[in-house]
Amino acid sequence: SRRKRARARHKPCELRELEVSVSELGLGYKSDETVLFRYCSGTCEAAVRSYDLSLKSMRSRRKIRKEKVRARPCCRPLAYDDDVSFLDAYNRYYTVNELSAKECGCV
Amino acid sequence: LASIFSGMDPATTSKSNHCLDAAKACNLNDNCKRLRSAYISTCNRELSAAEPCSRRKCHKALRQFFDRVPGEFTFRLLFCSCKDPACAERRRQTIVPFCSYEDKDKPNCLDLRGACRADHLCRSRLADFHTNCQATFQSLTGCPGDNFQACLGSYVGLIGFDITPNYVDASTTSITISPWCSCKGSGNMEEECEKFLRDFTENPCLRNAIQAFGNGTDINVSPKN
Repeated sequence: SRRKRARARHKPCELRELEVSVSELGLGYKSDETVLFRYCSGTCEAAVRSYDLSLKSMRSRRKIRKEKVRARPCCRPLAYDDDVSFLDAYNRYYTVNELSAKECGCV
Repeated sequence: LASIFSGMDPATTSKSNHCLDAAKACNLNDNCKRLRSAYISTCNRELSAAEPCSRRKCHKALRQFFDRVPGEFTFRLLFCSCKDPACAERRRQTIVPFCSYEDKDKPNCLDLRGACRADHLCRSRLADFHTNCQATFQSLTGCPGDNFQACLGSYVGLIGFDITPNYVDASTTSITISPWCSCKGSGNMEEECEKFLRDFTENPCLRNAIQAFGNGTDINVSPKN
């Protein structure tokens, strides 16, 4: 239902996970191996700081005009998971680091 | 046990690759993924043009993987059953053989055995292998006490030592295992050398144990470590 979807969209920032093939990662590797891809998702409304409010105020008073500023926190990884290794379709091993999130936060 | 072999029914899986399934199971387990990644990146790290990798560090990382990860993951990776060459090549590649196994030249097997015996841990692991995988005609399975798991466990115990065994090719029909050595230049020890090598290459106990694990036909195999 619509209410259910709306609530799902407003979940607070947290770690989620997907089982995906290495090829699906889009990093240019061709491998059918499956890896666990953990990512950060959710809203950060509860994490608005005085910094964000003040920044917004400066922008609306046109004290900041040309610079690109972000006046709201966003949900991003605070730490990344260990390396992931896999064998590709040409029988070569690869190791990828910082592929997956380990911890999320509103920064 | 059912979960270990779920999805391994040969009737439903003409296109499936059990070795790929085993890699998936490992990647979805944090401990297995971490230690697998550790040995792969160590064994795959190029030092220089002259030295493609550090075999010493690679062997150490392999020993840690097989010591610290439960057999339900490691056995599946090593002894998965295959119907096509891609699967069998993946199985052969499990231990990163270009670094951990192959070498420019093949030493004599008795020299390799001597090197193993000089290391107390390798010596005892090799003795375990000879005891637990000793082909016998007194049991149906060809293994002492029909204990496949003991044989597979001792085989795994040799990985990461001088005597590291592996699949010699990506054949799906016949499984041939050998350490990286030959019996050339054995002199008058030729017979003893051949006998030692045959414990790997022509060992019905070892072959039956690997095949039974891969097919899931051995219900007694429930590896804990």
